[in-house]
Amino acid sequence: MPQVWFVILALFLLLYVILDGFDLGVGILSLTASSEERRSILMTSLGNVWDANETWLVVMGGALFGAFPLAYATILTALYIPIFIMIFGFIFRAVAFEFREHSNRKLLWNTAFGVGSFLAALGQGFALGSIFKGIQVDAAGHFTGTQWDWLSWQTLLVALTLIQGYVLIGSTYLILKTEGSLQQTHYRTATLAAWTTLIGAGLVTVLTPVLYNQARERLLERPLVYIFALIPLLAILLIGLLLRSLRQKKEVEPFVWTVLLFVLSFMGLGLLIFPYIIPPSITIYQAAADPSALVFMLVFIGFLIPIMLFYEKQRKAPGF
Amino acid sequence: MAHFLDTVVLSRIQFALTSSFHMLWPVLTTGMGIYLVLVEGVWLRTRNISYYHHARFWTQLYLLNFGIGVASGLPMEFQFGTNWAPFSEAVGDFFGSILGFEGSMAFMLEAGFLGIMVFGWNRVPGVIHYLSTIMVAFGANLSTFWILTANSWMQTPVGGELVNGKFVVKDYFAAIFNPAMLNSVAHMFLATLETSLFVVGGISAWYVLNRRHPEFFGKSLKIALAVAIVVAPLQIAVGHESALHLRENQPTKLAAMEAQWETLPAGEPAAYTLLALPDSEHEINPWSLEVPYGLGLILDLQPNLQKPVLGLKDFAPENRPPLIPLIYYSFRVMVGIGFFLAALMLVSTVQWLRGKLADDQITGQTWLMRAWLFAAPLGYIAVEAGWIVREVGRQPWTVYGLIRTSDAASHVPATDVLGSLSLFTAIYGILFVSALHFGRRILLHGPNLELPPPGLGSQSARTEMVPDRRPTEVSA
Repeated sequence: MPQVWFVILALFLLLYVILDGFDLGVGILSLTASSEERRSILMTSLGNVWDANETWLVVMGGALFGAFPLAYATILTALYIPIFIMIFGFIFRAVAFEFREHSNRKLLWNTAFGVGSFLAALGQGFALGSIFKGIQVDAAGHFTGTQWDWLSWQTLLVALTLIQGYVLIGSTYLILKTEGSLQQTHYRTATLAAWTTLIGAGLVTVLTPVLYNQARERLLERPLVYIFALIPLLAILLIGLLLRSLRQKKEVEPFVWTVLLFVLSFMGLGLLIFPYIIPPSITIYQAAADPSALVFMLVFIGFLIPIMLFYEKQRKAPGF
Repeated sequence: MAHFLDTVVLSRIQFALTSSFHMLWPVLTTGMGIYLVLVEGVWLRTRNISYYHHARFWTQLYLLNFGIGVASGLPMEFQFGTNWAPFSEAVGDFFGSILGFEGSMAFMLEAGFLGIMVFGWNRVPGVIHYLSTIMVAFGANLSTFWILTANSWMQTPVGGELVNGKFVVKDYFAAIFNPAMLNSVAHMFLATLETSLFVVGGISAWYVLNRRHPEFFGKSLKIALAVAIVVAPLQIAVGHESALHLRENQPTKLAAMEAQWETLPAGEPAAYTLLALPDSEHEINPWSLEVPYGLGLILDLQPNLQKPVLGLKDFAPENRPPLIPLIYYSFRVMVGIGFFLAALMLVSTVQWLRGKLADDQITGQTWLMRAWLFAAPLGYIAVEAGWIVREVGRQPWTVYGLIRTSDAASHVPATDVLGSLSLFTAIYGILFVSALHFGRRILLHGPNLELPPPGLGSQSARTEMVPDRRPTEVSA
């Protein structure tokens, strides 16, 4: 049962990262937009999707709370500051959508939107970096570290890489959704972001096994070692395809390759962490709620998952 | 001053601040969702374009509230982990599941269909649009259901027991249908609806007073009034049920609400202290205004009490709620507003029956319109006051009788909480002022009565993606 919930949560998180990823990426990109008009176009391109995209974060939070209460409690306590950085970022972002519609000073709220997106991505990046690095806990799984554990050059590297990844998927989304000179701009930002993401991801991939014993052992475990060898190769292939599609000015392909790249990195991360949920010591079995709770939640949420996915697909359908 | 560096105190202040701020927005979207369903239903049935314009106009306020509701709601979900980790760990099996349901069923529905409700007028068929409006309203009310279920379980935790500091659920349905649940959900459902009705009515009255589209807003006021005729008295009845229920399940809360220090035995008459100055230190009310037989009449509909009402002195001081005067007066504010709104509804209904609310008469009803304008914010005050009674009255327990608030808080440095609390205070302050400012702007702008109904010269919006325009009356 804990495994089922691990997979469900991973699915929610993946959906979230992809959907809100381009959202946040577009937000960060809006900070660099050359004119107020462009900034407005970037924001309106998200007008009817951001709230639904953010839903996946709400769903994820609730499901983590219910299925793995210990992990929810420990991780959120350990990451107090990055979580609040993210939350404050989201607050600015969410209200910026409403307020700019009614405001005469669009610049103020457009900036709030961009800065909010950046802060949200930054908080998430530090949180992700801390998961890589591991969270210090006692035998019962309670946090024993200090309030600044999440801040180090390793976590900063992960945070910057994640931001680059979001910028990449945001750029390819905009290539898909815009035309003319705006689209040309984003071919450039996408290419740039593809390279910076590649460098960041490369560093993270190399440094993780070097720095963290547990990750190294995990990586060298058979038969997983073959999969772990395959992932970077596939990633390089995907980035190659992505860069080629960008050079050829394809409209849809860059987004597709980027999404696949996200899925691939995500699988790599999942395999690296599994079966731990608070790396490096608490497994999903230790952190899981009572089996009856897991079944109860599955009965209620399980049947909704196909509906939610179907609806997500419909919402993206042309004409809306 | 040591208080200001106490993690538990700061976490409580932060939760109180964020929840009481957050609540302001969904209260309106939840109730107004039903109003919008009503108005759009009348539009589809009668094809009277005025109702279409009503739906469009009120949707703008809906959207403004929804945005701030989402923004301020996100911290609520995460605070259970950041600030209340021991609580989350202890009750995650049940409480976490319920929050998960809220996110996956209720919020998903509301946020998902909101896009169609706001942007879909000219893009989807009327039936689909109406279905979306219904889904948005349904989703918001489903949120109320799950959140109040989780909260009422904290008031009356049943369905399992605490084993080694962890709440082990034996029966999920017993926990969901805990003794407080139906009453709590009903009370909150009516509160959101009643608040929204009087906000819609109050704003309409403001337009009528200013002679702006009086026939248009007379209509929306009458729709609100028609629903209020059912809701306002019903809310008083449900509120009364709550008090009876507290006598059984949360005696300390009832005692705090009534500043009742001594136990009142069954079979004897009991006075109702209408007003008092509770003194927690000496455990007496040095001054009070009492109605003889009042409490007996209220609780048991006869002068003598049928069952005893326990007094605060029956409980050890560490098991009594703090801030008795706050609870006492918040309760009276809530009840007073409930009766005022019901009275306003009655007077307005009489005037309506006398034909005084007709298009050519309504602008003459200056005093009535002023009363409605005055009533517009009262629902919010009642909701906040009620929430204080509910939550402060539950103290010193987070889960009544099981988990103390002092044991429920995370062990994070107080400086961190002080930092997040300060930021919340500043940001929420900005949001509140901005919301009022932009709300006012929407109202000053007024409804767009020129807006063509869907299907007339509006096909162009369908194909191109960017920019995705808001309704024309907003972006104008």
